[in-house]
Amino acid sequence: MDETRGRTLRFHMTLPSDPRLLAVVRETVSKFAAVWGFAEEQCRAITHAVDEALSNVIRHAYKNRSDQEIEMRLQADGDCLEFTIVDCGEPPDDAKLRAQPVDATALGGRGTYMIRQIMDEVSYEKAPGANRLHLKKRLPGALPSPKRP
Amino acid sequence: MRTSTRDLPGATIIDVEGEIDISTSPNFRRTLLESLKKATRLAVNLSNVRYVDSSGIASLVEVLKAARDTEKRLVLFGLKAPVQEVLQLTHLAKIFEIRKTEEEALQA
Repeated sequence: MDETRGRTLRFHMTLPSDPRLLAVVRETVSKFAAVWGFAEEQCRAITHAVDEALSNVIRHAYKNRSDQEIEMRLQADGDCLEFTIVDCGEPPDDAKLRAQPVDATALGGRGTYMIRQIMDEVSYEKAPGANRLHLKKRLPGALPSPKRP
Repeated sequence: MRTSTRDLPGATIIDVEGEIDISTSPNFRRTLLESLKKATRLAVNLSNVRYVDSSGIASLVEVLKAARDTEKRLVLFGLKAPVQEVLQLTHLAKIFEIRKTEEEALQA
C-alpha cells in the first residue's frame, strides 16, 4: 500500500445527470478509496459524501434533468484523496453551501451538512458555465494542508 | 431497491432490499406512506439495505411525522452499519424507534 501511495493516481469520468448511475459511481469511489488505504468505514463515508454532492448537482443545479453533464475527477496523492465535481447548472445560494446543522424534523438539507461532516476540506467555485466543488479527505494521521498566507 | 409487504396481526412489515438514493427514494417513500395508511404499526426491515442517502433519510422522517400525526407507530429494525452510520451522522439515531430484530420490533 505504501508503494501505491508513492505516486499520484488520477481517474476521470464524465457522466449524464441520471440518478440511476449514482450506484455505479458509488462503487468506483468506494473501491478507489479502499485501494488508497482507507478503512471500510471511511470508504463508506467518503462514498457517501461524493454521492450526496452528485445528488445535489442533479437535483439543484440541473433541476432533476437527467440529460446534463457532470464531470468528476478523482486524484489520490500522498495521504489525500481529492474529488472535483464540475457542473454547468445553476449554482446554489451561498447560505445553502454553509450547511448549518439541520433540525431533526426537517425533510431536507442534510446532504450538504453530511458532506462537511465527512470531508476534511470542502470548497466551491462558481464560474459561468463551470461550477466546481472540491472535496478532500486525508488518511488518518496525515497532517492538514498548510494554510495559504 | 425492492420492497415487499407482509401483513401480520397488529403490524405491517416492509422488507426493503438494496440501495436507497435519489433514484429509488421516491418509491420507498410512497410505499411506506401507503402502507402506513392501512397499518396501526409499521415495522421497516432494513437488514438488507446496503446504502441510504439523505433523501432516504428524509423519507423516513416524513413517514415518522405521518405516523405521529395519526398516532401510529413506526419501528425500524435490522439496521446494518451503513444505515446506522448515516443516522448517527444526521443526529437521528435517537429520533426513531430502532430494534435489532423483527421479533423485538413487533414486541415494541
